[in-house]
Amino acid sequence: MTSPSEQAHRTQGKDVGLTLCPSCKQLMPHAENHCSRCGSILALRDYSSLQKSWALLITAAILLIPANIYPITIFTSQGHTRHDTIFTGITHLIDLDILPIAVILFTASILVPILKICGLTIYLLAISFRLPISKKRLMVGFHVIEWIGRWSMLDLFVISITAALVNMGQLLDARPGPAATAFALVILLTQVAAKVLDTRLLWDRLESKDDAN
Amino acid sequence: MKLLTEEKCADTSVTLCRSCDLVIRKRALPSSVRALCPRCHTAIYDAPYCSLNGMLALCLTALIFFVPANLLPVIELHFLGSIRTTTIFEGAMAVANQGYWVVAIAVLTSAVIAPGLLLLSVLSQILIIKYRLEVPFFRDILKRLLKYHGLLSQLTMLEIYMISIFISVFQLRDYTDIHLEMGTFCFAMLFLVTLFLQREYHLEHMWSLLND
Repeated sequence: MTSPSEQAHRTQGKDVGLTLCPSCKQLMPHAENHCSRCGSILALRDYSSLQKSWALLITAAILLIPANIYPITIFTSQGHTRHDTIFTGITHLIDLDILPIAVILFTASILVPILKICGLTIYLLAISFRLPISKKRLMVGFHVIEWIGRWSMLDLFVISITAALVNMGQLLDARPGPAATAFALVILLTQVAAKVLDTRLLWDRLESKDDAN
Repeated sequence: MKLLTEEKCADTSVTLCRSCDLVIRKRALPSSVRALCPRCHTAIYDAPYCSLNGMLALCLTALIFFVPANLLPVIELHFLGSIRTTTIFEGAMAVANQGYWVVAIAVLTSAVIAPGLLLLSVLSQILIIKYRLEVPFFRDILKRLLKYHGLLSQLTMLEIYMISIFISVFQLRDYTDIHLEMGTFCFAMLFLVTLFLQREYHLEHMWSLLND
């Protein structure tokens, strides 16, 4: 979609008095208070979204610690009980030679949450402190974070299926552990943190000097 | 582009990027091509191919599969002669009964409630538009449904649940005999049909139908 003539124009909506309705994406003059089509409140930029996003992200980062330290599943097999944290659960899968599943679970429950929290932190730092990082790369990273985040739910679904199936007392039993709640909250909070952020702030804050890269 | 004034809002040839606020001139696109923002590569618009009848068919099919997918057992486990089965709902309740209600709510919302509401919402949107119910009451309902559509479709995680079923099968295979049941088939069909429905559905096109 890029053409040389369009490259020259870097006009933003706020410069020409236009804004998009946040919920129905109708183009509106920003002098208006409400969208004419769906009635949502129009805002040129949502500056408070940065604070909200920081708050949610910090909470999620704190919760990531109990989510990884405490056991997430408690598995009993023939009277022998093992408490698995997310990490030992995955190493156990590797011991059992179920490598593909171990890789999937490692990605979904360790890699994705950590990447998401680090990625969002870099993103928010870049906005708050005007760091000279390529905006284009930040934005691509942001879209990846938004898309991949929900895949962390995988682990919780697996826990709920096994907990319902495997409940035979001393012989074979699987139960969720205290980390499950913390992990669920990490997913929820990071997802909301990304959702709530007004990404247009990034393109306002870092002025035009690194626009091209 | 400097000639843009506020009256130009009605002009449909110009739009803004939702992530970086760049002014973009719209062009006609061939179908199945998506326009990206030249600056930040966010998807901006694509040629709306959104047949109401096609969506209605997909939506009804999905609703037919929805009930058995949630009521029939998904996995069956044979262990020392005892047979256990589970449905999605029972999975969530098993977690809740052990005190992990945050997990239970997350599972129930993303695998049962959100997909169900999404299908009902799309069905009523199509019916309101198709039968031109121009009464203010229905227009109001349509507006609200469209407003919450984005949230519902983000909460719908059928594809992730689908993969989770297979992962559980692999994990438990070492300990016991595991069988996939009729519920899994219905759930897979529900997932596929919903996937195609979401591809066909076009939120901005639906909003523009409200305008006419």
